[in-house]
Amino acid sequence: MKRALPIIAGILVLCIPLMVSNQFLLHLGIIVLMWTVLGVAWNLLGGYAGQVSFGHASFFGVGAYTTMILYLSFGLAPWYGMALGGIMGALLSLPIGFICFRLRGPYFSLATLAVAEIVRLVALNWEQLTHGPMGLLITTLPVVTLFGEPINWERKGPFFLIVAVIALSAMFATYLLARARLGSYLLAIREDEDAAESIGINTTRAKVSALALSAFFTGLAGGFYGMYFRYVDPDAVFPISLSIEMVFIAVVGGLRTIAGPVVGAVFLTTIAELVREHFEVGHLIFYGLFMMLVIRYLPDGIWGRVLRFFTPHR
Amino acid sequence: MALLEISGLTRNFGGLRAVSNLSFTVAAGEILGLIGPNGSGKTTIFNLITGFLSPTTGNIRLDNENIVGLKPHAVTRRGITRTFQIVKPFPHLTVRENAALAALVRLGDRAQADAEAVRALKQVGLADKLDIPASDLTLSDQKRMEIARALATGPKLLLLDEPLGGLNPREMEDACGLIERIHATGITVILVEHVMKAIMRISHRVIVIRQGEKIAEGPPAQVVGDSAVISAYFGKRAV
Amino acid sequence: METFFQSLVNGILTGTLYAMIGVGLTVIFGVMRIINLAHGDMVMLGMFGAYWSYTLWKIDPFVSALLLVPLLFIAGMLAYRFLLKAIIPGGELNTLLYTAGLSLLIANLALFAWTGDYRTLNLSYAEVPLRPFGIAVPVPLAIAFGLAVLITVALYFFLARTDTGRAVRATSQNAEAAALMGINVENISMITFGLGAALAAAAGVLLVPSLYLYPTVGEILIVKCFVIVVLGGLGSVPGAIAGGILLGVVESFGAVYVSVAYKDTIGFIIFLLVLLFRPQGLFGARQA
Repeated sequence: MKRALPIIAGILVLCIPLMVSNQFLLHLGIIVLMWTVLGVAWNLLGGYAGQVSFGHASFFGVGAYTTMILYLSFGLAPWYGMALGGIMGALLSLPIGFICFRLRGPYFSLATLAVAEIVRLVALNWEQLTHGPMGLLITTLPVVTLFGEPINWERKGPFFLIVAVIALSAMFATYLLARARLGSYLLAIREDEDAAESIGINTTRAKVSALALSAFFTGLAGGFYGMYFRYVDPDAVFPISLSIEMVFIAVVGGLRTIAGPVVGAVFLTTIAELVREHFEVGHLIFYGLFMMLVIRYLPDGIWGRVLRFFTPHR
Repeated sequence: MALLEISGLTRNFGGLRAVSNLSFTVAAGEILGLIGPNGSGKTTIFNLITGFLSPTTGNIRLDNENIVGLKPHAVTRRGITRTFQIVKPFPHLTVRENAALAALVRLGDRAQADAEAVRALKQVGLADKLDIPASDLTLSDQKRMEIARALATGPKLLLLDEPLGGLNPREMEDACGLIERIHATGITVILVEHVMKAIMRISHRVIVIRQGEKIAEGPPAQVVGDSAVISAYFGKRAV
Repeated sequence: METFFQSLVNGILTGTLYAMIGVGLTVIFGVMRIINLAHGDMVMLGMFGAYWSYTLWKIDPFVSALLLVPLLFIAGMLAYRFLLKAIIPGGELNTLLYTAGLSLLIANLALFAWTGDYRTLNLSYAEVPLRPFGIAVPVPLAIAFGLAVLITVALYFFLARTDTGRAVRATSQNAEAAALMGINVENISMITFGLGAALAAAAGVLLVPSLYLYPTVGEILIVKCFVIVVLGGLGSVPGAIAGGILLGVVESFGAVYVSVAYKDTIGFIIFLLVLLFRPQGLFGARQA
């Protein structure tokens, strides 16, 4: 029964576009799911391996720009572009990991921040490739027929399905990772990296693998962003605040849990929407506030706390 | 042929010569004691052997195979495992999980790894504390767990860095007995210690290090009487 | 050649102000091993304090500093006592994330209150620059430089000659030993955090006539601050000063001789290189 629950939940989520037609609600759902992907992706490195990255926006942006450029310049359909966006993200993570993993703890975090800023500045200034601050715009998406009917890209339903599939894949990947040897190695690294090394774990390879997987899903989400919003510019996809928000979603939801980032995404997106309705600006105020509250009172995150409530010890 | 051969090992930190032209061998099946005043470079030697530090110059050969330049995880896989002077448990994992992880790296199968872990933990006397989080253990038990974790990697050579530090006399007795029992299973041991009684009792051979250099080598009783050693510990006047 | 010297002077002047920001951060790290991500936002608060004092009540920023700096000193102490103290036992990364949350909170409260408009403070005496040896030096920058030097000297005397200052240095070298010597480490930590905040406020006040002001300026400042502090060695006050000046000069030359667009990038690249090859900083002490 316990094992079936996530599968049932997953199927239900996929059925939502069939049941809900309110475009605003679907849009909200898409945002929540996109942040879920980002939170889950970040969690692979930050929650399981304990390496706090403040630079994940670079993978998101690379994924977004790859998708846009491949479609606008080469006509490659965005769904393939997305996958390539994910791969580009993973490729970018290799040199970044090589540089940053030489460092530990907060120094690693700061290095990721610096690297992300460099990537952002390159994107901003390499006008030939990225059109700089002007950004890239998609006007029409390619025609695709499903069961004889062309997909209506003006409706939110198809996008919801796509991002839901990505989110569920990311969560499934986390599940597989946790059960695999790599998952245990990452836990050991998180607990004590030297001790992990001393029992025979190739810590560098483990961290690089976790980062590559994390960067892949982040890039994939970036590609989806490009496809859904149809406009990207460096400020939208590369800012430091995006990296920080990814951290918040994972931390507030619960590190080292599979469903934690979902909870974090739902929670923070709901707050953002409520604030936007009543105050127009300032949702980040609550992000900051909740980050502080969670670290102080719920260090396992919201979902982590809920889980602990249900298990007898530990 | 020796199990471990160190020749001309030197490590500099800027202007400081932490280990200086050190050479010695370790025969398979012996217990080698490594003693010396504080700061003489003993832990540095362990760090060099296990790859946590790389030598400025010198050779380290395990079973006649050069291991200089290997990362610590590779050295462990070749058969040398070390414990740490200040214990490094995986604090949030249980005792069992600590050891099982080490075995998992070597064996690959979780069930096998768990069995191996339990075996090693029984050997060190922690069979009744398997499911306690490592951070809840006493220092003495944490040290034993770290030894069990090291054993779970299936080493040929075990490097113990001050395993008796912080223990009371009763616990020291138990620890000495444990080291002897481990040795009896065929594992070679290098032991860094300050507790002379333990070194005298357990070691087959002792090497004395002072300021990164070897100043004496031989059976424990002989080394203790060596004038260079006495002067290193107590000053020239004591000789 | 004149461009070279103009660039150099600009760099040193701006660099000294950067240094002030860096010193605050490094002092906090030295004593408490906390990387305070909210530091840039404290500078921002100092900047806004000076801005509003001038805009509303015509108080010259260099005068309003006399009130703002002690105010932020107290605010810093309170922030430590009531916010941070409980978090520190949770570990370095937890504290880092907590200060990240605090940073977001402060910056966005400011954004909410004062809107994101870019503001500048135009002082009446800033119109005509000084021209020593034919090099243009804006008056506020010159005054700021002078005050920064004064503050640095005062800080030196505090750390080297007063009992509290020595206690701060002792705690930063070895908190346990300091406690054993009878130093109240908690109080010292509180004072140090207040000091860091006060230095940030001072830096903000000195900077406001020369920089664009907006609520999220803390973001850029904190990143520059890291570069400085890492260059100089975390925990080293002289290192932060040297690092600040170095960054100022590199940016200045970078803007003139490479490209304005990439001048920030240069700083980051140096940051990464230093972190990789000399993580103790250019001037820091090597740890075993």
